[in-house]
Amino acid sequence: MKSCRVPGRGRVDASRPVTFTFDGRRYGGVAGDTVASALLANGVHLMGRSFKYHRPRGPVSAGSEEPNALVGTRRGPGRFEPNTRATVQEIWDGLEVTSQNRFPSLSFDLGAVNDAGYMLFSAGFYYKTFMWPRGFWDKVYEPFIRRAAGLGASPTEEDPDSYASRNLHCDVLIVGAGPAGLAAARAAAVEGLRVVLVDENAEAGGTLLSEPHLQIDGRPVWDWLASELSVLKALGVRIMTRTTAIGYYHQNMVGLVEKLTDHLPALPADTPRERLWRVRAGWVVLAQGAIEKPLVFNGNDRPGVMLAGAAQTYLNRYGVRVGDRPVVLTSHDSAWFAAFDLQGAGARVQAIVDTRPSVREDLLHEARALGIPVKLGHTATASSGRLRVKSLRVNPVQGGRVGAPVTIACDAVLMSGGWTPSLHLFSHTQGKLAWDEEQTTFLPAETREDCVIAGAGRGLWGVQAALEDGAARGRGVAAALGKDSTARAPRVQGDRTGTGITQIELPTDLNAGRAKAFVDYQNDVTAKDLRLAVREGMHSIEHVKRYTTNGMATDQGKLSNINGLNIAADALGRPQPQVGLTTFRPPYTPTTFGALANYHRGDHFELTRKTPIDAWAEAQGAAFEPVGQWRRAWYFPRPGEDMEAAVRRECAAVRGSVGIFDASTLGKIEVVGPDAVTFMERMYTNPWAKLGVGRCRYGLLLGDDGFIRDDGVIGRLAPDRFHVTTTTGGAARVLNMMEDYLQTEWPDLNVWLTSTTEQWSTVALNGPNAAKLLAPLVEGVDLTEEAFPHMSCAECTVAGLPARLFRVSFTGEIGFEVNVPSPMAMQLWERLWQEGQRYGITAYGTETMHVLRAEKGYIIVGQDTDGTVTPYDAGMGWAVGKSKPDFVGKRGLARPDLVAKNRRHLVGLLTQDGSRLEEGAQIVFDPDQPIPMTMVGHVTSSYHSEAVGQPIALALVEGGQDRMGQTVHIPMPDRTIAATITGTVFVDPENTRLKI
Amino acid sequence: MLLIHCPYCDETLPEVEFTYAGQAHVVRAADPASQSDEEWENFLYIRSNPKGPHYERWRHLHGCGRFFNAVRDTISDRFLTTYKAGAPRPELSSLLGDRT
Amino acid sequence: MNKLVSSFTAAPLPQGAVARVSLAAPVARLVLRARGDLAALNAALGVTLPSVVGHRAGAGEIEVLCLGPDEWMLHLPPGQVGAVSASCAALMGSHPHSLVDVSGREVTLEIDGPRAAELLTLGCARDVEAIPVGQGRRTAFDNVTVILWRDGPAAFRLDVWNSFAPHVAGLLETGCRELAAEAA
Repeated sequence: MKSCRVPGRGRVDASRPVTFTFDGRRYGGVAGDTVASALLANGVHLMGRSFKYHRPRGPVSAGSEEPNALVGTRRGPGRFEPNTRATVQEIWDGLEVTSQNRFPSLSFDLGAVNDAGYMLFSAGFYYKTFMWPRGFWDKVYEPFIRRAAGLGASPTEEDPDSYASRNLHCDVLIVGAGPAGLAAARAAAVEGLRVVLVDENAEAGGTLLSEPHLQIDGRPVWDWLASELSVLKALGVRIMTRTTAIGYYHQNMVGLVEKLTDHLPALPADTPRERLWRVRAGWVVLAQGAIEKPLVFNGNDRPGVMLAGAAQTYLNRYGVRVGDRPVVLTSHDSAWFAAFDLQGAGARVQAIVDTRPSVREDLLHEARALGIPVKLGHTATASSGRLRVKSLRVNPVQGGRVGAPVTIACDAVLMSGGWTPSLHLFSHTQGKLAWDEEQTTFLPAETREDCVIAGAGRGLWGVQAALEDGAARGRGVAAALGKDSTARAPRVQGDRTGTGITQIELPTDLNAGRAKAFVDYQNDVTAKDLRLAVREGMHSIEHVKRYTTNGMATDQGKLSNINGLNIAADALGRPQPQVGLTTFRPPYTPTTFGALANYHRGDHFELTRKTPIDAWAEAQGAAFEPVGQWRRAWYFPRPGEDMEAAVRRECAAVRGSVGIFDASTLGKIEVVGPDAVTFMERMYTNPWAKLGVGRCRYGLLLGDDGFIRDDGVIGRLAPDRFHVTTTTGGAARVLNMMEDYLQTEWPDLNVWLTSTTEQWSTVALNGPNAAKLLAPLVEGVDLTEEAFPHMSCAECTVAGLPARLFRVSFTGEIGFEVNVPSPMAMQLWERLWQEGQRYGITAYGTETMHVLRAEKGYIIVGQDTDGTVTPYDAGMGWAVGKSKPDFVGKRGLARPDLVAKNRRHLVGLLTQDGSRLEEGAQIVFDPDQPIPMTMVGHVTSSYHSEAVGQPIALALVEGGQDRMGQTVHIPMPDRTIAATITGTVFVDPENTRLKI
Repeated sequence: MLLIHCPYCDETLPEVEFTYAGQAHVVRAADPASQSDEEWENFLYIRSNPKGPHYERWRHLHGCGRFFNAVRDTISDRFLTTYKAGAPRPELSSLLGDRT
Repeated sequence: MNKLVSSFTAAPLPQGAVARVSLAAPVARLVLRARGDLAALNAALGVTLPSVVGHRAGAGEIEVLCLGPDEWMLHLPPGQVGAVSASCAALMGSHPHSLVDVSGREVTLEIDGPRAAELLTLGCARDVEAIPVGQGRRTAFDNVTVILWRDGPAAFRLDVWNSFAPHVAGLLETGCRELAAEAA
């Protein structure tokens, strides 16, 4: 295998070989290599196929902006990730890398037929091609697009890795640890400031890692870097590498993703793969540097064509010569240095082709001295080579005319169209950009965040300038935080600065309409596509972007946006600032769902609240259902029972003897204070003033619009103390609503609210034997009809435990709710369970509770009501204290629509054929009317009722209370069911069963 | 994620401790029965939706529990001020003056 | 016999070298709400109620944290609840207030170790380090309302309602393992 490693160059450790596989073939690299640098060291440029045309592609960059070299990485079962940038992924022994978007193999790919069809797949082809015939959409086009769409293959197994998250507060966050970031960190690192310096690379240093010829303060740059990093650490700066700032959010909240294990051969225990950091910084310094622009010419995407700066990085940082016979093609001085560096590393640079008619004398001098041919005022018009570039066709340009071509044989083309500041994070802040005519680029201007930009990120070129700007910005930030910093930038020797011009697509003597001059490599968008989009009427850059998909790939337009803008502006004949840049959005680089979800998966995916009885229910084999955040026992199946059988048995047990039910999830609010009764009068529809101590009452809570919000039984424990219960799901909402009225409407009331939902666990006993079971266990209250009638409450002792005892019924049977402090609930439950055995006590769940209450016509707020139901609609006008001057909802109830005729009323339904209705089913009066029918209501609750001997239902029906006995119809997909409107109480309408 | 100054705790804290509570200074009439249907409709439903400074309420739910008022610029999502419930509505001119 | 035992029984809580979590012994907890002149209540409680949100006071075995402008959390030995309630109740007529026993509502997790504060950053968005030692705050941990008491630079207590405790403890446990691996 050919080795392109240059001994003695780079920061990689040649003494530590690393073996990995690419498409099943073993390759050797060394510690410190990325997949891209290691493959390039083996002479491999072909690393992927493009998305649309399946064109062979190699890496064009050496960093996170890479659009082409996307690969799949695998680490054993489950650990597969598509679309990893080969330029970023570090290698380790055993890493499995696969290429993407190819079939059957990378070097021979059937999808490349799309490339031959280039003329068909022009801008907007999705919109044009798949329009007709209409019938083709489902069967032909959509399956085709679905198969073709998407980059790489999604992993199919569950991700076995863990992901983490932390919050971090600091005074200064510096993004980018190149010269500007390092200098800013040094200047900001004064006593008392918490400084965090992050960099997406494996090591800090940025461009310094690629420029070993520099001297800083008289020392070789890498020595200086090492000592500077240790100084920063000693000063308390937190340096985080492999950490990408993915997004800049409001008020200096920056999201970071730290990669912790992707570079390690063995996974350490208890270590997450990635950690999401939510950083809140006093000040942010963006020192992200600049990104080199590709040149746009026909054939600028062949493997071997790459950015000149990338070639320099591969050589100087990784010790890899990307070509033996490269051609340099440029419109900027910086690429000349790439040519010099490669020539110095044993390459024979075939030519430096510069689009500019003249360049700096010192560059020409050096090229001559190194024996590199120079062609000024030239364009590139084509390249050749299928899987690797073989030649570059260049032509002189004079007076706008493209002259005769010359073909230069080569094995690499190193291009540079100049540099553009990395504006992404700045853009996230909604910062304003300013067009810089001289540099033909946008520079950051204003942001409302406490944020500054340092170095190349604001158009300053050269290491010296970056260090000085970084130091100045660091001092400025320290000053803004009230600290004095005197840090000064060190002196740089050997700094290479330069200038250049901005090109749109390079001029050509060939048919420009057939040119494959790529602007967006990843989405295969060419200059021709952009011009076509403008011709077809896309005059806004946002439209051009969407029509062509330029800049919409996973690289977020890092290489393509500015070239795309320049070409679109040219096509529109308008200056760039009038055309504008499209918006960069988070994340800066592709981010795993794992990092975003972090801890919230598996058992920790969602909060699940359990009562103290939950473990007992689980041991009994209960089925559970979620209610709000709670999980509640749904039913308790015995062996062989399905849900219906279990519920039937549980219902019969409650109506026949006694059932026990965990009602602990009910919301509870303690309302205390001299104005407690006034507050209750104002909040609830019911009157409370005359409710005696030791009595309780069903309370109905409305919104000020007059609609039912919540309900529950409320006990008066003392003149100034109420025990309020709410629905399970409504607990937090009701407390919030009460606090709202109390704090902002009636702040004069001396009453306070305390949530006691979890102070008290509630065990309900219901059934004809409930009192018999409970009475012997109660001290302080006689459970007789006289001493403790229905709707009584008392503080007493039950089974030796301090309790609040309520005589209430949600079933129509004799019922008690025993509240004890939660830590004692299981003790109570077990005692009742044990004592109840003689009565055949049966545990029942929420389903049986629902059936039993429906048989009595008791509503469930949120099931039988939907936020548009008044107490009168629900048939509960009796709960409204009409003589009260005011309560929440009273004025609302008088609104014209709420007193209108023909509102939907809650009624009972009995089907005429004895079948069970579906909850949510729509109701009509006339089943023979044409479709669409006029719907007059819907079924809210429906159950099989053992007590009634047939299914029962509750429903909201237009004018229902005036239609007793009438027939309505419920159209279902297979038939229409007739039902008779009845009252809502199906069992024991006289409430005789409530008597002890 | 926003930073919000709680006027009761006198601390500037992350948004996750707070809940939004709608437009501020929507007063429930002392005697709702005296309200016309239109007035009551306004009280219940009609809200402003400004581009710029917005008077609104927040609650420091996971903190002191208090409802308070705020002026937030809906363009920048920045709070111009926060103040205690019952405190007078600050004049916009004074708030905007501070910004320049 | 009616000893307050926790209804929260987690798997053994993590005992990492750099951060530890343990379940505190049961304690009585009272929520006091009042406003205006607090002198009479101070006298009844035997402790001066702090008036700044987040500040604490203590006297004897009673510990108080101001949670809001008119709200305090009291921790005290279970045996003292009766006496404290009675002396406060006697003031109801002259000094309106609300005293509610929530001893059974929540549990306290003790968190300590050199990286205790960092452990809390897994769930706390606010700057935990900025809470002065000897103070406390009601805040959110992984979206759960908690009361955080800072007893020392690396010693915290976290009060959390029973049903939220497994969720909170679960994340703390994960964090302890993470921090231990980091320190190793």
